[in-house]
Amino acid sequence: MINISSISKEYVMGDNKLLALNNVDVSIKEGEFVSIMGSSGSGKSTLMNIIGCLDVPSNGDYFFRENNISKFSSNKLAELRNKDIGFIFQNFNLLPRLNALENVILPLLYSGKSSKERTKLALLALENVGLKDRTHHRPNQLSGGQQQRVSIARAIAGTPKLILADEPTGALDSNTSLEIMKILNDLNKTGITIVLVTHEDDIAKYGSRIIRMKDGKIIEDKKNVPH
Amino acid sequence: MSLTDLIYLSQKSLRSNILRSVLTSLGIIIGVSSVITMISIGTGARLEVEQQIERFGSNNLILRAQSSNSRGVSMGNNSVNSLTLKDMEALKNELPAIAAIAPRVSLSTQIIANGNNWLATVTGSTNDYFELGNWKFEIGREFQEDETISGSRVAIIGKTVQKNLFGEDSPIDEVIRINKVPFTVIGLLEAKGGTAWADLDDTIIVPLKTAKQRLVAKKFPGDQIRSMTINVSSSDLLFKTEADIDTVMRKLHKISANGNPDFVIRNYAQFLNARQESSRVMSILLATVAGISLIVGGIGIMNIMLVTVTERTKEIGVCMSVGAKKRDVLLQFLIESLMISLIGGCLGIALGLGVIFGVSEYFNWKMSLDYMSLVLSFVFSSSIGVIFGFYPARKAASLNPIDALRYE
Repeated sequence: MINISSISKEYVMGDNKLLALNNVDVSIKEGEFVSIMGSSGSGKSTLMNIIGCLDVPSNGDYFFRENNISKFSSNKLAELRNKDIGFIFQNFNLLPRLNALENVILPLLYSGKSSKERTKLALLALENVGLKDRTHHRPNQLSGGQQQRVSIARAIAGTPKLILADEPTGALDSNTSLEIMKILNDLNKTGITIVLVTHEDDIAKYGSRIIRMKDGKIIEDKKNVPH
Repeated sequence: MSLTDLIYLSQKSLRSNILRSVLTSLGIIIGVSSVITMISIGTGARLEVEQQIERFGSNNLILRAQSSNSRGVSMGNNSVNSLTLKDMEALKNELPAIAAIAPRVSLSTQIIANGNNWLATVTGSTNDYFELGNWKFEIGREFQEDETISGSRVAIIGKTVQKNLFGEDSPIDEVIRINKVPFTVIGLLEAKGGTAWADLDDTIIVPLKTAKQRLVAKKFPGDQIRSMTINVSSSDLLFKTEADIDTVMRKLHKISANGNPDFVIRNYAQFLNARQESSRVMSILLATVAGISLIVGGIGIMNIMLVTVTERTKEIGVCMSVGAKKRDVLLQFLIESLMISLIGGCLGIALGLGVIFGVSEYFNWKMSLDYMSLVLSFVFSSSIGVIFGFYPARKAASLNPIDALRYE
């Protein structure tokens, strides 16, 4: 599904050049649950942003489902993010003015679906994360765990092939973290590929494969038997 | 993303900060209300001038006797009515540009009829008076030749006189007593309506000879008259004729070119021009205010939209991460600034209507609401919104998704 060959990402900060990714090769198959680990500055977030088509590599090729993403225009990338990829962020990134249902509908607005279909898909997604009775609450009326579930619903509403989770439990207590990880696990079982970025071992262990990064390079890539 | 969705999202974010949205549109509010008021004053003035011409007739000059002043001292009553029918004949003969002249004597007196009392202005004149003054007959007729020559006691009355003496009943063939002299009503004039100064319909017209013999014999002895309305054959000749009349009258009355004349010539065209000019100045002033406040308002919108884009950078990043294209973001912010300026436009129209209503009510200015001005205001305010909203919107759309998302 994902095929990354020798990509690099360089940031220029004043006179210094920072190599966030240094010749990284990785491929991820459909249905995998990959945890990417590493300390801050290891390049794990940069890698995830490139996988998620939010950022483009300075060098190298990225094939997503046989398409060479490096050649895509910003409009085509936006379309790809809309149709095939779902994002889950550490601090949820919900729009404060919109209620839960409207937040979940947001990606569907950009996909050109009819208003009836959008509402149906969004309600289904909210039901899947157990928030059917919170559809008209605003983010500030929801707990952290509930907000994260809304953002998961937003990520899955458009039935994506790939979900990218950037420290999804970073702002949550351990019980709520377990709930969120269970939801992600269940989603993986339905065939959705999941790429998770974390620095917590407990969280990374949910993955079927764990990649460790350091200084912009992959230093370990091993199979894992999830508990 | 459809237009309805964009509008829905825009109103959502505008409503989350109503006070800011309204304050932002303040410049537009003032600009649009000025535009509306300006156009109303302009059209109102034009209409009023047209109505005045309708009322007083066009191309008319009024020649009136005036007490001549000698070293600042009035020479008294006897010198007042120095205008005579001889002057009128002389003017007619000497100036071919004059098409017609209606002489006039007048007095204000008590009228009694039908058991009612009324104070009205009585004019003695000829049939020319009706044509030159643009008077039309509702019922009845003008003076007949024999009535003019013999000095018959016949009268033609205005609408106000009819109402006060006869109510809605026809006054024709009724007898009214003017200064105790009985007159038979032979005609009723159509209403002209009031002006700012006088009710034109509060009038009675009798033949000149009758008036001079029976009503104003003492006030206007011999062939003296109070004034004459002089109709000039074309408007191009109006000002030249005014000067010619002055020359002829000075010759007739033996007044030197720089001496104080015992007459005065009123030119309505001049008066109307002055009026039109003053409302034009007012309009230019308001147009300047409107222009400046629309531009300042536009800059205000741009300023707030730039702040909004910065404030919502992270939100823009979120939208982009879930699939918003540059175009979607651009349209979203353009529609927001368009909505702000349209809200301003609507409030401005409301304010403008209020000003128009207030001014015409309390200052008795004639103002006319033009529907074109409403359309114009909408066009103005929406183009301001689009023009000044474009730069911030483009700035938002050109954000890099990952930078926007990371923005704190």
